[in-house]
Amino acid sequence: MPPDSTPVLHAEGLTKRYGRRPALTDCHLSIPPGRVIGLVGPNGAGKTTLLQLAGGLIAPTSGTLRVLGAPPAANAAHVARVGFVAQDTPVYASFTVADHLRLGARLNPSWDRSLAERRIAQAGLNPAQKAGRLSGGQRAQLALTIAAAKRPDLLILDEPAAALDPLARDAFLRSLGDFVAELGASAVLSSHLLSDVERVCDYLIVLRDSRVRVAGEVRELLAVHHGGTGTLADLVLGHLREGSR
Amino acid sequence: MIWLSWRQFRLPLLVGVVCLALAAAFLVHLGWDIREARDAYEARCRTPGDCGPVLAQFAGDYQNTLLFVAAGFALLPAVIGAFWGAPLVARELEAGTHRLVWNQSVTRRRWFTVKVAVVGLAGMAVAGVASALLTWAAGPVDRVADDRFSTVVFGARNIAPVAYAAFAVALGVTAGLLTRRTVPAMALTMLCCTVLQFAVPNLVRPHFMAAERLSRPMTAEAINQARGLGSITGAAVVKGLTLPDAWISDVSELRTADGRPLAEAKFTECFDDPPRTGATGTFGDTAACLGKLDLHVDIGYQPDDRYWPFQWIESAFYLALAALLAAFGWWRIRRRIS
Repeated sequence: MPPDSTPVLHAEGLTKRYGRRPALTDCHLSIPPGRVIGLVGPNGAGKTTLLQLAGGLIAPTSGTLRVLGAPPAANAAHVARVGFVAQDTPVYASFTVADHLRLGARLNPSWDRSLAERRIAQAGLNPAQKAGRLSGGQRAQLALTIAAAKRPDLLILDEPAAALDPLARDAFLRSLGDFVAELGASAVLSSHLLSDVERVCDYLIVLRDSRVRVAGEVRELLAVHHGGTGTLADLVLGHLREGSR
Repeated sequence: MIWLSWRQFRLPLLVGVVCLALAAAFLVHLGWDIREARDAYEARCRTPGDCGPVLAQFAGDYQNTLLFVAAGFALLPAVIGAFWGAPLVARELEAGTHRLVWNQSVTRRRWFTVKVAVVGLAGMAVAGVASALLTWAAGPVDRVADDRFSTVVFGARNIAPVAYAAFAVALGVTAGLLTRRTVPAMALTMLCCTVLQFAVPNLVRPHFMAAERLSRPMTAEAINQARGLGSITGAAVVKGLTLPDAWISDVSELRTADGRPLAEAKFTECFDDPPRTGATGTFGDTAACLGKLDLHVDIGYQPDDRYWPFQWIESAFYLALAALLAAFGWWRIRRRIS
């Protein structure tokens, strides 16, 4: 965890357009460290765009975004502090699981080899297996391990569990919780499955039509919403319906 | 990062090295064959004492083979660029693995630089070895035939192929970066390489240094030494003139004594229906008819002592193109790709 209280994500007027189509509009956010942030919203709401901006994979059209106090992917040292698991959890099909761990070790100075090997064993992955032959759940576990074993201060996960069956998703979310606890890191997780978010997140951002509808601590949001009697699902659906009216 | 480049590149590299080994075996065999033939011809000419015609026959035996080899050799950069250069970035973008590797603690530009450098150097090494072997194998024929400056042979000897390979890799990488698809990038690379292989020798290379010029009278005898006469458009041209110790880069149409082009009608008349004189030679009566018109051609040529300057200039030209493409990719990978 960062020793100071620098926001893990700090956005001011953040906007991204693809041609004339807005993907993210005038986004203002300031998220304190040490949270597991759930990013929810319908498909096409701008979740992936926000996460790719945070990972430095794309550049904003206008506005500013600071991740852990610096522009996204500012330099090698900054990239080292952010772990990113992309949508569909891409891995090199022709590499074995062990090759992926070697890749992580070679490309990350802060690589924690024992953590990586322990997690791979816990997830039941065979190091000699080609990554192209892994199941979706195993691939997601591998991608998460690579992102986490560099011991980042912030983990970003873009719909990591969307394509997984319930059992694999359960295992994945458990791994994610373990990692966050072990690393003391913050995490941002996008999902359209509210149950996932409810289970692991303590901070919520609701996106709809490229705009942030609500952002805040889950506990506080629930307290305000219906005087604390509603569920997270009620809360999110309430905000999404409100926006569409 | 070098480990990753090696891990990803080792299979294509293995295929390349196997192909190179096959080509090398062929070239070594050809080289020995050529040397044996030369020794046999030299032994034959020692008795009469006049080696000129005998050695010309020796060169003639191998010139066609070597031209085929040189033409095949011209494909090498296109193949290197398409199979090694084009997939380098395109396959990552296609498979989405760039989103994995760009989130390790290595900047994109370093990732790009190392990958391009590893594959570029490997391509240059392969082209260099192949070129050195071909230069060695063809050595005895080249010394007799004296045509190493000619359009096709020039690009298949010494150092120029190394620069072609560097350029081809950079071109393939750039094509992959722009198309983001492996197969279109490969096709584009092949196409561009092939176009350049034709365009540069004919349009660019003649201008590396100002050509020397001379005017050659086209007597009947001179016309009979040419390889061809006329063209499909009916223009009054001669083809395949040679000049000792020089590469002819430019030949004008047939001109009359006052420097104007010979009228097509007159040329056609001599070509189709020349007065019968019983003249012999390649073009017979036509040559005799044209010879009477007091014609000449203006020739632009590069003397043979410019061979090495031209090798260096051509190499520098391609290496500069390669550097430009690489710099563009280096800039773009940071700015534009998601």
